[in-house]
Amino acid sequence: MNKEFKVLAKPYMVWLSVLVFVPIIAMIFISFSNLNSSISVSEIALSLSHFKLLWESSTIIAFRNSLIFASATTFICFVLGYFIAYEIKLSKFKNKFILLTFVILPMWSNLILRTESLANIMSENNILKSIIGFNIFGNISGTWMAVLFGLVFTYMPFMILSVYTALEKIDYALEEAALDLGLTPFKKFWKVVFPLSFKGVVTGSIMVFLPTLAGFAIPKILSRGRIVFIGNIIENKFIYTNYNHGALLAVVILIFILGSIFLLTKFDKEGETLL
Amino acid sequence: MENNRASIKDYGYRDFTKLNKIYSIFKKVLVVLIVLGLYLSIIVIAIQSINESRNLSIFTNISFQWYANILQEEELMQAIKNTFLVSSIATVLATFLGTFFAVGLYALSKKSRVLWMLLNNVPILNADIVTGFSLMLMFRLLMVVFPNIFGLFTLVMAHLFFTIPYVILSVMPKLKETDPNLMDAAMDLGVKPYKALIKVVIPAIKAGIFSGMLLALTMSIDDFAISYFNTGAGFDNLSIWIYAVIGRRNLTPSVYAFSTLLTLFTLVGLLLYQFLQRQKKGKKDEKNSFNNISS
Amino acid sequence: MKKIVLTIFLLSLSLILVACSSKPKLRILNWGEYINDDVVEKFEEEYNIDVVISVADSNELFYSKIKSKTTAFDLVIPSDYMIEKMVEEDMLVELNYNLLPNRSEVTYMDGVDQIFTSMSATTLERSGQTINYNNYAIPYFWGTFGIIYNNRVEGLEEALYEHGWDVYFEADTYFPTARRGMYDVPQFAYAAAMMYMDNNPNDYNTELLNSVQTVIEDASFTEWGDDTLKRNIEADNLDMAFTYTGDYLDRLYIQLDEGKTLEEVRSDFDIYIPDTTMVFLDCMVIPNTVTNLEGAHQFINFLLDPENAALNAEVVGYAVAFEEAFDIIISYLDSEDTWRKNWANANSIYYNMEVERTYYPLTTLNPTDVDAIGTMIQDVITG
Repeated sequence: MNKEFKVLAKPYMVWLSVLVFVPIIAMIFISFSNLNSSISVSEIALSLSHFKLLWESSTIIAFRNSLIFASATTFICFVLGYFIAYEIKLSKFKNKFILLTFVILPMWSNLILRTESLANIMSENNILKSIIGFNIFGNISGTWMAVLFGLVFTYMPFMILSVYTALEKIDYALEEAALDLGLTPFKKFWKVVFPLSFKGVVTGSIMVFLPTLAGFAIPKILSRGRIVFIGNIIENKFIYTNYNHGALLAVVILIFILGSIFLLTKFDKEGETLL
Repeated sequence: MENNRASIKDYGYRDFTKLNKIYSIFKKVLVVLIVLGLYLSIIVIAIQSINESRNLSIFTNISFQWYANILQEEELMQAIKNTFLVSSIATVLATFLGTFFAVGLYALSKKSRVLWMLLNNVPILNADIVTGFSLMLMFRLLMVVFPNIFGLFTLVMAHLFFTIPYVILSVMPKLKETDPNLMDAAMDLGVKPYKALIKVVIPAIKAGIFSGMLLALTMSIDDFAISYFNTGAGFDNLSIWIYAVIGRRNLTPSVYAFSTLLTLFTLVGLLLYQFLQRQKKGKKDEKNSFNNISS
Repeated sequence: MKKIVLTIFLLSLSLILVACSSKPKLRILNWGEYINDDVVEKFEEEYNIDVVISVADSNELFYSKIKSKTTAFDLVIPSDYMIEKMVEEDMLVELNYNLLPNRSEVTYMDGVDQIFTSMSATTLERSGQTINYNNYAIPYFWGTFGIIYNNRVEGLEEALYEHGWDVYFEADTYFPTARRGMYDVPQFAYAAAMMYMDNNPNDYNTELLNSVQTVIEDASFTEWGDDTLKRNIEADNLDMAFTYTGDYLDRLYIQLDEGKTLEEVRSDFDIYIPDTTMVFLDCMVIPNTVTNLEGAHQFINFLLDPENAALNAEVVGYAVAFEEAFDIIISYLDSEDTWRKNWANANSIYYNMEVERTYYPLTTLNPTDVDAIGTMIQDVITG
């Protein structure tokens, strides 16, 4: 791409620097200090006392929950979402614009309403049961299955969109050539189509993994408050104006995740697949 | 394909007709199940919206009273208007800016691009409440100069903050796929770089721009925590309103009615659009149909 | 594309212009749906003031909004403990009673006065300051907390009235299979366990915290929720939950509205209010961001009129704080209007003034203690 376009990124760099860097530095400062809403500037002192929060068993369990659920959600979204995206590409329906909008349309309704409605039909006595006479989910309200179901079907549209965007321009001639060379349809998919769409999978995974990891509403509602994610803890800390702990957790997660993504780019030999 | 089969069989082609049949049935079932999964919550909301009773666990009778009632819910109506206003402005701006920012980032050297793309993930990754809080603190600094800044302006700015990354994330892979010779060819023909960008590159990445736009709209329309901290002057959106009501009271089923209407109107709009496109296409030749996304 | 952008900008411009009417404004920060629109309209007409209401869902969010000063609110409606915190941090303006002539027209209910006294007492204990919160706050609504229970469970009602808190917390002894729910505000859970142990819910030390943890673990709650608790009890998905009495009344009024009788609803689910229980008091206070001080006083004075207070309660359904307004509601017992009659009935049952109770409003604990309670609850949940 023309180097002249570099200038287009300048405003965004300034924007990101001001709105991301400054707050992160402020958060790091807050997590080391005793600063809170009712303290005066002269009393501010630095300490490591907040760090014992990181070894609190609830913090570790919450972080583990977030990681496990986010990974599982991303994987399931990848399998099912890829399938749907591929079907959209293959479909004879010419106007893909409509199909994509159709896929993401449920997300335009409020997340709380959607999640509570899922919680509703997952519980023992619910509105659907009163119509059809039986429970389609059994009674999974409050279990990990409920949470996983909610997460997967809430964030899957992100995966479908990203994967489809990558699949969209794959030349059919390539696929034909693969078949001509004697590959089975499955091999053709695995050796030709999938590698070409891998960028979309990566983008989609980021879009599913990150919000799932930091989210709190879906686990809270669908587990009936029994499965705690790290997002729930951060949320609580901020709401109860414990900014020191909230900032500390937020920064630790940021560093952990961005660090992992950065490491991945290092191992990525061609350096072009990720980011 | 059918005609070629006999000839390529000799080169190792195997017959998958039977397997294909089973696979195609399996595929159809799976598609239906997944779509049902995606729409399950919407269906339940729709059922709740036509339930005569306000009791969410028992369906008594079909009634459309909650639909008629939407207009009477003044606070709800105001919140809906605010949501549409903020989301449409934010989506248009985010799509436009995000596309050009992505082009700019793509032009950077690989090293600095990786760094900036990492930072680009922060708004997506950070817990909403943290983002909302830090944005508020930053915007507050502007209050010294513009005392009444909080309201529509800050709300749109905050929404841009977390929607632009989604646009960039969608556009970037498409940019990498575009043939670098495309630009060069256009410029060799004497086209100025920015004109080439708009005439050649943008059309090549429009699928990415489009999905970026959808994502931006989706994120913007449903945001609570970031909006809460960055709104002002009574400019509450629908999410803020919904959260605030369930804090002490019950939601009126008119909220479900509105949600259902939003989904239905969009669906009908999409079908209508498709229908009109078909009619138009009937007159044109088949060439256009190779464009996957026609918008 | 250009057209779209242009239309949107024109649209937003016109909206901003419409919003800028010439009338003086009164900016209120309130809970959602926590005010009768008719009352607002009546006030706007009478005083020619434009009321703009913003909403939030918790006291803590009120606090951060006022603290951030991003919007110049004239009036906020936080609860007791938050008012203590706001006064402590100098965020409120003292009321000018000369501008509130209607104050002499009303008598606060006993429980409300108890709450004010108790707020002053806890403040004195915590910071050594003597503060009369009447100088800052005028009651809006108040209410008790209680245990909503599923009356379809045989014997649960009798057990609750006989053994009180024990039934709720001692899962081993009473109804081991009952599904128990708790409000997911850590301090509420702590306070409930403290009352079960016959302690003042506002006391705190590490030993107490440890015994509270054991109590909460033993109760083995199946749900930590908020507004979901009342609906799950109603739907027979939960058997007991500690929540606002107003939460129960909310569901009760809805069912009455749909033609059920009071007896029918009560035989499905009901609320038990222990003799010692938590209360909350939402008050109108003026934050120091105020720009329309006169309008704020006018609004408060307007709601000090018992008739307006009763009118407001008719939609909101929480307990009024003035005896005169309560009398108006009770007078509807003979009303022809079924809704008003039911409403009066419910008020006489659930806000019965004859019953002697000990009311504890929650106080603002020291931030590190709040945090310790929060962590303890998270530990119990993640177990």
